[in-house]
Amino acid sequence: MSTIDRLRRLTGEEKPEQKKGADDLRIGELRRRIEQIMERRPARQMSSVVSHARPEAGDLREIAEGEEISTPYGKIFVAFDRIPAGHFHGLRRIGEIARLDMRKAAILAGHSVISRYNCGSALFIDTETTGLSGGTGTLAFLVGLGWYEGEHFIIRQLFARDFAEERALLSFLTETAKDKSFLVSFNGRAFDVGLLATRFILNRMDDSLSPLPHIDLLYPSRRILGHRLENCRLSTLEEEVLGVRRRNDIPGSEIPQRYFDWLRTRDVRLMADVLEHNRLDVISMASLIVHLCDLLSFHRVPEEIEHSDVLAAARLCLERGEENHSMCLYEALARVNNKAAALEAKKQLSMIHKRAGRWAEAVRLWEEMIECDPSHVFTLTELAKWCEHRAGDLNRAARFVLRALDSIGSEYPLQRELLLHRLERLRRRIKKREGEMAYSSSFTY
Amino acid sequence: MENVRAIRELPKYEGRFLPFPGWVHPKIRAVLERRGIRNLYSHQAEAVDLIRRGRDVVLTTPTASGKTLCYNLPVLQQMLESPETRALYLFPTKALAQDQMHEIQGLIRELQADIKTYTYDGDTPDDARQAVRKQGNVVVTNPDMLHTGILPHHTKWQKLFTNLSFVVIDELHVYRGVFGSHLTNVLRRLRRICRFYGREPVFICCSATVANSLEHAERLTERRMALVDSSGAPAASKTFMLFNPPVVNRELGIRQSALAPARKMAADFVENGIQTILFTTSRLNVEILTKYLKDHFGRGKPVDDMFIAGYRGGYLPSLRRRIERGLRERDVIGVVSTNALELGIDIGDLEACIMVGYPGSIASTWQQAGRAGRRTGHSVAVLIARSNPMDQFIAENPDYFFSRSPEHCRVNPDNLLILLHHLKSAAFELPFEKGERFGVADIEELLDYLQEKGVLHKVDDRWHWAAESYPADEVSLRSVNPENVVVVDTTEAGQHRVIAEVDWDSAFTTVHDNAIYMVESQQYHVDKLDLERRKAYVRKVDVDYFTDAMTYTNVRVIDSFDVRRGHNAIVEHGEVQVVRKVVGYKKIKFYTSENVGYGDVNLPERDMHTTSYWFTVPKDLLDRLPYTRAELIDGLSGLAYSLHHIASVLLMADIRDTGRCVGDKSGEWYVRHTAGGRFITSGRAGEFQPDAVQMDAFDPTLFIYDAYPGGIGFSDLLFKLHDRMLCSARNLIRQCPCASGCPSCVGPVLEVGARAKEVALAIIELIEMKDLS
Repeated sequence: MSTIDRLRRLTGEEKPEQKKGADDLRIGELRRRIEQIMERRPARQMSSVVSHARPEAGDLREIAEGEEISTPYGKIFVAFDRIPAGHFHGLRRIGEIARLDMRKAAILAGHSVISRYNCGSALFIDTETTGLSGGTGTLAFLVGLGWYEGEHFIIRQLFARDFAEERALLSFLTETAKDKSFLVSFNGRAFDVGLLATRFILNRMDDSLSPLPHIDLLYPSRRILGHRLENCRLSTLEEEVLGVRRRNDIPGSEIPQRYFDWLRTRDVRLMADVLEHNRLDVISMASLIVHLCDLLSFHRVPEEIEHSDVLAAARLCLERGEENHSMCLYEALARVNNKAAALEAKKQLSMIHKRAGRWAEAVRLWEEMIECDPSHVFTLTELAKWCEHRAGDLNRAARFVLRALDSIGSEYPLQRELLLHRLERLRRRIKKREGEMAYSSSFTY
Repeated sequence: MENVRAIRELPKYEGRFLPFPGWVHPKIRAVLERRGIRNLYSHQAEAVDLIRRGRDVVLTTPTASGKTLCYNLPVLQQMLESPETRALYLFPTKALAQDQMHEIQGLIRELQADIKTYTYDGDTPDDARQAVRKQGNVVVTNPDMLHTGILPHHTKWQKLFTNLSFVVIDELHVYRGVFGSHLTNVLRRLRRICRFYGREPVFICCSATVANSLEHAERLTERRMALVDSSGAPAASKTFMLFNPPVVNRELGIRQSALAPARKMAADFVENGIQTILFTTSRLNVEILTKYLKDHFGRGKPVDDMFIAGYRGGYLPSLRRRIERGLRERDVIGVVSTNALELGIDIGDLEACIMVGYPGSIASTWQQAGRAGRRTGHSVAVLIARSNPMDQFIAENPDYFFSRSPEHCRVNPDNLLILLHHLKSAAFELPFEKGERFGVADIEELLDYLQEKGVLHKVDDRWHWAAESYPADEVSLRSVNPENVVVVDTTEAGQHRVIAEVDWDSAFTTVHDNAIYMVESQQYHVDKLDLERRKAYVRKVDVDYFTDAMTYTNVRVIDSFDVRRGHNAIVEHGEVQVVRKVVGYKKIKFYTSENVGYGDVNLPERDMHTTSYWFTVPKDLLDRLPYTRAELIDGLSGLAYSLHHIASVLLMADIRDTGRCVGDKSGEWYVRHTAGGRFITSGRAGEFQPDAVQMDAFDPTLFIYDAYPGGIGFSDLLFKLHDRMLCSARNLIRQCPCASGCPSCVGPVLEVGARAKEVALAIIELIEMKDLS
C-alpha cells in the first residue's frame, strides 16, 4: 500500500478516485470565486499608457503599468507610477512633501540623524505578505516603494510572481535603496523590515534595509491622533484624518489568499486589487508624514485643526526631549480661542517653566489662567504652593487653598484630602509664626 | 513481615578516578578543585575526552554520578577558548532547566568568565528575549519551545545557529512514545537549520539506565553515538525493600491502601531524624500524605511548616526553590512529591526513599530510589505496591525487578501523522529541495501530497510554504490529541466558570451526558456534552453513586506484517482499524460498589487506524476446555486485562498508550459488555444483536493496539515479546492471592465474571501445552 493511501486512511479522507472529482470541484470553486470578485469591482480605469502596448493574455500589464525587469538573480515584474506634485490625495497635494521640515521628521522618528537628510532621500516602503504570523515561512511577495524626485512622487512596486523570483526582488530592492538614506513606513519597524531581514538571511544576501534610519509612522500616529480614533490602522487614518476615501479596497486579511490563488491560476485580475491597495498605502504614507510634521510646526494654530492633536504632538515632542519645540506648540495653542485647549496648553507650559525654575513665567501663566477660570483647581493649588514655599505669603496661600476647596467637586476625595491637609499645615505654620511674632513683639515692649 | 516480598542489600561501590585531561583550562581546574573535585570519575574522563574529540556521546550512569559535569566541562572549555561558542541545552521541564542554569551559572561566576547563560521558555519576558537570542552562550530550553519558538524564527537566532557547537539533551529516557517520536522530528528540523548555517554541532545525551540507551539515543538523534555506561562514581550501600500491603478482602482481592503503610513508615523514619522522601503517583496523594504527616507531627499544635513539605507541579516556583533549599540544608526532614523531584533537581543527600506505588517503569524506580543515599552512609529505599496488576507483578516478581532493567524506550518518528506535522513545520522554516532527506523517509511523495493540499507550492524543484498559518502551533509534542474539552460549572446562573479540562479521548468516557464528574471530591452532574464547542456543562450535585462508562471496541485487521506460531496460538502484528464507541454507563454506589442503574449514551463512534499486536486461539482448541462459551469469553477478557498491564510494564508506557480488545480478526465479532452481561456480538454501532452469540463464527483473537493514530512502534516489540508476556501473565495470575479474580490479576470479578481467573489460566495452559494429540 502506498504511503499516500495510508495517509489518506489515517486522516479519514475519501478514496483517490473520488478525490479526483473533488479536485475538479476545488478548481471550479476557485474559478467561481474569482468571477465573483470581478463582478463586485467596477472595471478599473486603465491609464492610457497601458493601452498602447498589446499585452498577451495573462500579462500583468493588463492591470498595471509596468514591465518585467532583469536582475542578476532573475526577473521580476515592476509596476510604475509617477504622481505629479499637484495631484490631490485626500485633502493634501502630493507635492507638499517637498517642503517637509526634516527637523520635525527627525522628532517623529526619535532619530536625530534624519534632520541631516532631505526629503528626496526618503524611501517609503510597504509590503504585502503571505501571512501575518511572522516567522520564517512568510514571504513578502510585493514590495511597494515610493520617493519624491523632480516634482513627482515616484512609485515602484516589486512583484515576485512566484517564490523563485524572491532573490531578484530582494536584489532590486537593495539596488533601489542604495540611493536613499532613510526609510518611512507604517508599522515597518516591527513588521515589514523585520520580515525582509528574515528573507535576506534565507536567501543568503546582505540585509540592505535594517541598518537604515527609520521613521515608523505608526507610533507617532498613535500618540498624536490615536486619542480620537477607534483604531490606528492606516485606512482609519485615511478616512478620519487625511480625507482619503478608497473604493472597493481589498481588506488586508484577504491578500494572502489572493496570492495563493494567483500562484495556482495565474489569473492577473486577482492581483489588480492587491497592487492598487499597496500603491495607495505608499501614497498615504507620504500624506501622513506631511500631516504629522505640520502638527509639530504651528506658530499659529488654525481654528479648524483638532486642538487635542496639537496638544498630543507637543507632549510627544517633550517626550522625545525636544522641549523648545514643545513650548512653541504650547505657546501657539495658548493663543487659540478654544478655552479648554488654551488652559491645558498654559498648564503644560507652566509646568515646563516650573521644572526649569522659571518661576516668574510660571506665575504669570497661572495668573492668566486664574483670570480666565477663577475656579481652576490645578492653578489655585499651584499658586498656593508657590505662595507657601517661594513667596512666603502663608495667608495668601491659605486663601488659594480655600478657594480650591470651594471649587473642587466631591468626586475627587483624594485631592480634597490633600488640600485639607495642606490647609491644616498652613494654619499650623501661620499660628506658629503669629506666636513667634507675638513673642518677639512682647519682647520689644 | 510477610508483606515484605523481598529485601536486597546493594553493596557499597568504590569509585574509580582518573586525573583531569591535560587540555582542561587551568581556571576550570582551579574552580573544580576549590569545590573539592581533584580527579574525574572514570566515566567523566571518558566522556569529556570523547566530546573533546567531536564524538556524539550518550551517557547512562546512575543518579548522582556527575553527569552534568560531563557536558558542562567541555562546553565551558570551548567557550573559554573561543568566546563566540554557543550551546543549546534541552530539558523536559522548566524546573529542571532553571536548576541546570543555576548550576552552570555558579561555575561561570567562579570562573569569572564572560559567558552568558539564559533559560528561554514560556516564562521568559518579551523584553529579555532579544538578549537571549543575541548574547546567550548557553541557551537552556525545552523541546516544546524549540519546536514553536526557536526553529520557526531561526533567522532571529542567527547568532546562535552560526556558532552552535553543542546540543545537550538530558533525561533522554523521558523522550519515548509519542513525545520521543515528536522530538526526533524536532531534532531533524534542528539539524536541517544547523546545516543551513553551516554547523554540525556535537550531540551529548544523558539518560537514566534503560535497556537500549544507545539504540534510543541513535534513533532520537539519527547519528552514531558513543556509549559511556560504566560508572566510576562511588556509591554507598543501600537496602532495597519491596512491600506488598496485606489483603483485606480476599474475595474481591482488595489490598490495604498503599498510603497506610507509607504513612506509618515515613512517620517512623522522620521521628528518628532520618531525612525521607516519599514519591506518590498523583498530585492528590501528595496532598493527602502531606496532611497525614503534618497532622501526625503537629498533634494539634502548629509545627514548623518546613519540617514536612509537599512538592508538586502547580506550586509556585519560589515555594519550590524554598523546599529544595530546605532539603539541602536539612530543614525539611520529610518531603512528599510527585515524580517532579525524580529528575535531576539538586536536593542533597537524603537517607530514605518511600515509593507509594510503582512509578510506572523500572528506570523511574531506580531514579527515585537514587534520590536517597547519594554519597553518604547507608540508605534505604522501599517500594510499596498498590492493587493494580503492574504493581502486583513487580511485588511478586522480585527477581524480574532486580535483574537488569528490561525496559526499552521506543519511538516511531516515521509515524505518518507525526512526520507530516513536522514536514510542514520544516517547510515553513526552509523550503525543501528536491532530493533532500528528512530522517530516513523518502519524502517527495509527502511533499507532493502537501502541495496538492495547498499548503506547499513547488517551483523549480523547491517546495515552499504557501499558507497563512503557523504550522508549529498546530501540534503539541506531549499530548496525543491536542484538543481538550472544557468543563463548565453552571450551578450558579450567570456565573459560569471553568473548573477543569479533559482531554479529547477521556471526554467520551468521563463527561458524557448524565455522567457524574468529580473534582476535588465534589460531584458534578453533566447536563450536556457539546462536542462541537468542546464544552461540557455541569452542575454541583450530592449523590451516593458515581458513573462508569461502558464502551465497546472492535478491531479489524487491515494488513498483517508478520505472522508466526506461538505454541498453539497464531501470533501476528500489523495494521488495524479500531472503532470505539461509548454505548452507556453504569451507576455504581459508593462503598458497596453496587450497580444501581444504567443509562444510554449517544456519542459518535471514533474510528482510528493504527498498528496492533494480536494472537488467535483456534476455536476448536478452545472447545476442549470444559467451560461454557460465556465463561471462555470471560477468561479471554481477563487474560486481555492482565496482558495489557504487563505490556505497559514491558513497554515502559502509560496504560493509556495502548488499548485492548477481544474479538476476531474480521472485526465482525467482538466481545461487548452490556447491561445484561457480556456477549460476543456482531454488527457496527447501534445494531445490537444479542442473539447472534455464535462461537462457530468466532476465532477468538486478543488485540493490544497502539492508542495513537498510525501507531507508535509498540506492536512489533510486543510481537517479539509474546512468549514472555504470556509467561508473565501466568505467573501473575497464579500467584495472585485472590479467590477468583481481582484488579491485581484478571480484573474485578464484577466486570469479568466469577470464573475468569480459572479460565484465563486454563487458556494459557492450553496455548502452551506441548502435546496436543
